Amino acid sequence: MTHEDTQITSPPKPSEILLHLGPQHPLQPGPFVLDLKIEGETIREAELHIGYIHKGMEKVFEDRTYLQILPLTDRICYLASNSNNDVYCRGVEELLGIEPTDRAMYLRVLTNELCRLQSHLLGIGEFTTDVGFLTMFIYMVREREGIVSLLEAITGSRLNHNYARFGGVANDLPPGYKEMALKILGDVKKQIKSHDAMMSSDSIYCRRTKGVGVLTAKEASELGVAGPPLRATGVEYDLRRMEPYLVYDDLDFKVITQTEGDVFARVKVRFLEMLESIYIIEQCLDQMPSGPYKQDVTPYITRPKPGEVYSRIEDPRGEMGMYIISDGSDKPYRFRIRGPAFATSQALPPLLLGGYVADVAAIAASMDSCTSEVDR
Amino acid sequence: MGIYEIIMDTLVFIFATNPFSPWIRGVLGGLVIGAVFAGALVMVYLERKFLGDMQSRIGPNRVGGRFGLLQLIADAIKLFTKEDIIPAKADKWLFIGAPIVALTSGFLMVAVIPFDYLYINGNYYAVAVSRMDISILYLEAVSGLAIFAIFMAGWGSSSKYAVLAAFRNVAKMIGYEIPMGISIISVAVMAHSLDIVEIVEAQSSIWFIIAQPLGFVVFFIALLADVGRIPFDQTEAEEELVAGWATEYSGMRWGLAFFAEYFHAVVASFMITLIFLGGWNGLPIVGNLYIPGIFWVIAKVIIVMMVFIWIRAALPRYRIDQVIDIGWKVLIPLALLNLVWSTIIGLMWA
Repeated sequence: MTHEDTQITSPPKPSEILLHLGPQHPLQPGPFVLDLKIEGETIREAELHIGYIHKGMEKVFEDRTYLQILPLTDRICYLASNSNNDVYCRGVEELLGIEPTDRAMYLRVLTNELCRLQSHLLGIGEFTTDVGFLTMFIYMVREREGIVSLLEAITGSRLNHNYARFGGVANDLPPGYKEMALKILGDVKKQIKSHDAMMSSDSIYCRRTKGVGVLTAKEASELGVAGPPLRATGVEYDLRRMEPYLVYDDLDFKVITQTEGDVFARVKVRFLEMLESIYIIEQCLDQMPSGPYKQDVTPYITRPKPGEVYSRIEDPRGEMGMYIISDGSDKPYRFRIRGPAFATSQALPPLLLGGYVADVAAIAASMDSCTSEVDR
Repeated sequence: MGIYEIIMDTLVFIFATNPFSPWIRGVLGGLVIGAVFAGALVMVYLERKFLGDMQSRIGPNRVGGRFGLLQLIADAIKLFTKEDIIPAKADKWLFIGAPIVALTSGFLMVAVIPFDYLYINGNYYAVAVSRMDISILYLEAVSGLAIFAIFMAGWGSSSKYAVLAAFRNVAKMIGYEIPMGISIISVAVMAHSLDIVEIVEAQSSIWFIIAQPLGFVVFFIALLADVGRIPFDQTEAEEELVAGWATEYSGMRWGLAFFAEYFHAVVASFMITLIFLGGWNGLPIVGNLYIPGIFWVIAKVIIVMMVFIWIRAALPRYRIDQVIDIGWKVLIPLALLNLVWSTIIGLMWA
């Protein structure tokens, strides 16, 4: 299955309407256009157009020094800024041939999991508004507030954290952080469990989500979908387990899967993953080694040896990869980003076919795409 | 005799001595519509504050003191001063007419709503603009006019979202007016009358919510669908159809359409109060203390409104095909079952 399979080629028949959804529409996290050919309320054909906020980031990166690129990686997707920092830094570290310190690795895992938590909370929140459940959105944002304040305490900012550095992280944990984190995470864990139970037991919610927008494992792998949408189809694919980076080898966690592959399963995967993330963070706080949080000597001007590297990470939304080619200068020769949201967006039109107009909101939000990253 | 009764006595005296004077009826009608209008304002305010409490946020808290009492006035000023935009391709008269028809159908419904039933000088007087023998049928018929308003808006806006919303609304209404009508007939069978005043009086011993709980459930769900509140707000589902049939409206025209919805919700609360919750028949908890019937009516209406808001906070939205399934496959059979039940009980009661 490719993008060409879901192009609208013929004009609508007299019984059909062409609904031009976007580029500004309340269901969208950012501007894109979804052309739907509908007959009554049923979707016959769907076509996705992207590129409304294309920023040309990869080209911009080729004109910046390695250190200047670092804060820009936050802006690829503000909900995954820690993951983006981390994957970029690991790529450059591999080119430079250095390793982050032990404590820095734990701190990066800690912030990555916090980042996953707040991204999933907001993702589920946006999803619930799209099925008309505003209350749950506000509850989710309330829970997210605690997580964001935990990130703020470490990194100093609530969004676009810019925390990872080559060979370490920007700063150490503030004093008393462990107690504060355990208290907030305990509350959040309790609330997440209660929200999950509340949503799963709601009959209207189940009718809206079960059996809707079913993605099969085969389609998912053909379209390059990873992350929660793929794990919801029953495939146990998680880079933290498949290709352990940082200290994920030493940590205990389950790879959450569901088998149905529908909207309900995707949201359920996110709910359960949040509980796993909290468990990982608790382990990190317990096992955190003492020692320096960054390398003693970090070069001010970074000039890696010529070579190329592909580093990847399990982003909140899927698999994030960065391909960097160095020619020995202080700027990358070629930079390429493989974003998870691009793949999940690509999977959207085939899922809509045969569904109802009302399902567009539920399916699109359950894929948890991010236009900022699609149009990087 | 309290002030309330003196006022009512005067009103009823004028009304009873001059029952056909259009002036008297006009004044009374104005008062009653004003009262329901105020009810709609209360509902908007409650919706913001009470819903805010349930969603763990504050709600309006700046304009008019820390409780945001003047928020509505600020909103009204904003809506009045906004530019009035009519889309170039719109069907102008349908577009302009739709909010007016929506509000008018609400006003017409208010005409037969009784607030109290007073015993003065050996006669009973219903405090209503107009007392009809078939007032409940009239109410049902006039409430159907609101569908035209939404269809006019949907068709006149020349917007695909609005047309889809109008289609949805018509499909929904066809499915839900029937169970609503059947449950109203069940009540009428039990009360032996189509007059709302008689129906409320028939509940002086036992409220119809207890006599026919099934009918209440069917009626309540159908009414929720009728006024288009969550989980039945498919006609203005924001994430699907932007603002549904009101997508192209702006300024005070949108304000009228918005207000008409709340007006209908208030009238719906009155209908539930009067038809199932015993109207002015109070609870026997306060002993010999005299509480005017209008107090009970208003208290019950506010409770019903809060239940509407509570439902909005607690439930997601159905998909339109599921809504229609529920209407035809669940509510109509249940309504018919309730009709059989109420006929049997009604005959035994008689």
